[in-house]
Amino acid sequence: MSGGTGAGAGGGPLIEARHVSLSFGPTPALRGASLTVAAGEILAVMGPSGSGKSTLLHCLAGILTPDSGEIHFAGRRLDTLRENERGALRRDRFGFVFQFGQLVPELTAEENVALPLLLNGVRRARALAEARPWFDRLDLAGTQSRRSGELSGGQAQRVALARALVARPDVLFADEPTGALDSLTGENVMNLLVSEARDQGTTVILVTHAPRVAAYADREVVVRDGTVTSYEPAPAAS
Amino acid sequence: MIRLGVRLALGGGREAWGRLALVAAGVALGVSMLLGALAGINAVNAQNARYGWLDTHTGGGASVAGMDPLWWRVSSDEFAGRVIGRVDEAATGARSPVPPGIPRLPGPGQYYASPAMAALLRSTPAAELGARYPGRLAGLIGPAALPAPDSLIVIIGRRADELAHAQGAERVTAIGTAPPSACSGDCYDIGINANGIELILSVVTAALLFPIMTFIGTATRLSAARREQRFAAMRLAGATPGQISLLAAVESGLAALAGVAAGFGLFYLGRPALARIDFTGGRFFTADLSLSAADVLLVAAGVPVAAVAAAWLALRRVGASPLAVARRVTPPAPRAWRVLPLLIGLGELAWFVHAGRPRATSGQAQAYMFGILMTMVGLVVVGPWLTGAVARPLARRTGRPAVLLAARRLADNPSSGFRAIGGLVLALFVTSVAVATITTIDAYGVGGRDRPLVRRGPAERATLIDRYQTYTPAGPRDAPAIPAGLPAELRSVPGVLGVTVVHTISPDSPDHPAIGAVTCAQLADTPALGQCPAGATTVNVGGGADWSRGGINEQRWPPAGVPVTQLERLPVQAVVVAANGPAAVERARSALRLANPDHVIPLTIAEEADRDRKLNRAYQRLANLVMLISLPVAGCGLAVGAIAGLAERGRPFSLLRLAGTPLGLLRRVVALENAVPLLAGAVVAIATGFLTAGLFLRSQLGETVRAPAASYYALVGAGLVASLLVIASTLPLLERATGPAIARND
Repeated sequence: MSGGTGAGAGGGPLIEARHVSLSFGPTPALRGASLTVAAGEILAVMGPSGSGKSTLLHCLAGILTPDSGEIHFAGRRLDTLRENERGALRRDRFGFVFQFGQLVPELTAEENVALPLLLNGVRRARALAEARPWFDRLDLAGTQSRRSGELSGGQAQRVALARALVARPDVLFADEPTGALDSLTGENVMNLLVSEARDQGTTVILVTHAPRVAAYADREVVVRDGTVTSYEPAPAAS
Repeated sequence: MIRLGVRLALGGGREAWGRLALVAAGVALGVSMLLGALAGINAVNAQNARYGWLDTHTGGGASVAGMDPLWWRVSSDEFAGRVIGRVDEAATGARSPVPPGIPRLPGPGQYYASPAMAALLRSTPAAELGARYPGRLAGLIGPAALPAPDSLIVIIGRRADELAHAQGAERVTAIGTAPPSACSGDCYDIGINANGIELILSVVTAALLFPIMTFIGTATRLSAARREQRFAAMRLAGATPGQISLLAAVESGLAALAGVAAGFGLFYLGRPALARIDFTGGRFFTADLSLSAADVLLVAAGVPVAAVAAAWLALRRVGASPLAVARRVTPPAPRAWRVLPLLIGLGELAWFVHAGRPRATSGQAQAYMFGILMTMVGLVVVGPWLTGAVARPLARRTGRPAVLLAARRLADNPSSGFRAIGGLVLALFVTSVAVATITTIDAYGVGGRDRPLVRRGPAERATLIDRYQTYTPAGPRDAPAIPAGLPAELRSVPGVLGVTVVHTISPDSPDHPAIGAVTCAQLADTPALGQCPAGATTVNVGGGADWSRGGINEQRWPPAGVPVTQLERLPVQAVVVAANGPAAVERARSALRLANPDHVIPLTIAEEADRDRKLNRAYQRLANLVMLISLPVAGCGLAVGAIAGLAERGRPFSLLRLAGTPLGLLRRVVALENAVPLLAGAVVAIATGFLTAGLFLRSQLGETVRAPAASYYALVGAGLVASLLVIASTLPLLERATGPAIARND
């Protein structure tokens, strides 16, 4: 069995999956997948459709609990935590960007970005104040009061990116973040995602089947038939 | 294209059948209630029409040439709190008119009785009831003459020369047919005194129809989000807006047709049970709950047409753009003009306080009907505006994520937020108006503050008053004396505790009602009428109206200053009989009836008060009926709205959950966005109801509205708790509707 290993900036892995298996009914999605991700690293998880890469990401993020194997985050066993503990971890330490449909349609773009802070108990005025700079940083000026239906696909993904990063998470999980965008808009979103993550020192686990997107990562691993079959070593830290 | 629509609706597998069944079930429920409301209104009218013959003396006794006159007298009797209609008649020839329900007029010594009356006579000792009706039972009165299956009616044959001299007897040559609703004067009082019945029925109809129609509309929009997605996908595949509209019409029309058919079935199945509900003071015959051809046509054609129209309207967005359903834009807020109808309704009622009510009874009914109906329309129209007006600033200011999400949703679509609770708001308004008005009238009496609430303890229920008044063209006059030996006869009736004769010491005048006086020796035996001060031999007991006041048993009357011997020579105003229980009351009543057949039936103090409240109780029952029907309708509407809201937001909510948002927070969002409009709407409806009742009472009776009894708050509280439980019952769906699988598969 092969697996990806990554050296964190501090030496130890921030996230580690050990021999993770998970089936949906009779269909196995992961079969003993192992992986390590270093702190501050940008890792691309590649693979064909149905290979299990999104399932692996959901296990690493504590969304799904594996049938067997272990998930560790910052030296702590993740897969044995209760759902509310994993939920708190996702809310406090992780950020998420999905392919589409993640913005709450009733909220304005600004309120969508501020939502994680509000969920963490930050007062409204401060949450909105912390959300506003992201609109300039992500080239979204003027869209603060718009609803999701009034944003283009690229704008909506950038709002989602701002929402994922506004609480300064340790890890950003991105599942096909450019899958619904044209290539130019996708590159724009990826440039922003990578630069903001590096600025904040956020670890990124990026699921994609597109080599052009994976090229933004420090390291790539490939998932095939539920196992991590290959990896590229992480580039030297700059 | 129609064939394709049918195939899509019926051949789309379990999901399509499930969708169709869900919509059809919702429509069926709504249609059955709609038919029940329509049939109920028809039943009230049918029942009222069968009171017509009892109003022969006033309503329909027109002269018919060639007929032999009939001596006719209608009076009411009382037994154990139930009113008995008594008709005394005497034919003067073979061609005297015959009332409905009997094959021929009973001769002297015979009587016809309604089935319930005949059963009562069989099961009751003769001294308590049968003794009042001379002769033998000749047969049963048929349904054509019975307002209700359990009506107590007796038609007694008398000799013409005897009845001709009886007080209140009239010569008629035709039996009346006009229902009490057509009577604006002194109508017989066992029917629904229908002055204002049109007002009540109009309000009740509006209060019932709105929530039911809203519910049917909501039911046809079940699964709307899923359907819109499907149609948007078909637009993307090249279908024209017209084709999509036709498909939607076919799908909605099929579901509505199935629902209408099932709704008719449900109505006819539930009709016998509905007939047993007594909300007019008498049960209905099952056949009374009938539907006119117009009713059937209106519902059978109207509901599917309305469903198709609703589907067309709902799909306007899809028609405009194949992507329209996926996009959420800032919607325009409801405009402030929506306050106008409410202001007009309340303004009209307030104007009557300032300028005085219309003089004519019919004018009053029309004027108040307009004001109350306009206020109801106003509540429905202003609801979305109020919901938005509360939600928008809340969304702008709150720091709580659950409140933010709920408030934004309400601010986005306040009409949808209010729609589910519109019916409940109307029900609460109608109930609040009815209960506040009835409570105030009960407290002050129909005549105002002079007729306050009567305490109805055992003594008031066991003390009969037989009023000795002769009606003359100049007005009522007290009788010179009572039949000799009557007091002794009454005292000999088993269970009678005492007899007091009230004499008139100050006759009736335009300025002062007749003042009565009694001996203290007799008063001591009828304590419900009050007490004597120490040392007095006779006391002044006020006018007859005073004896219906509450707390008279504790009243210490002032000395009359008239010797007993002199008092006993004065005209007789009333005979008061105290008994030791219900059976003794009926025996004493029978004795009084036989001694004075021309008198108005003697009533206990409690029964007199109850008669004043009879109409109020009927209205109270109608108000409760509105509430009881509207509550489940509103509850179903809330559940449907909550489920539809969850279905619309499955993906964003599930992604929020993936990102660590606690499920409890999402539960609070769903609870808040349903409960806040519900509770706010309830407060507005109750406040507007009390205000409307207050304005009505101030202008009509010059009274201030009184707080209702605890039972009202209990009913409202139970209704709101039930509605909140319905909302809570949808919360378990949230966990399934937002699970990881939704985010992965959607």
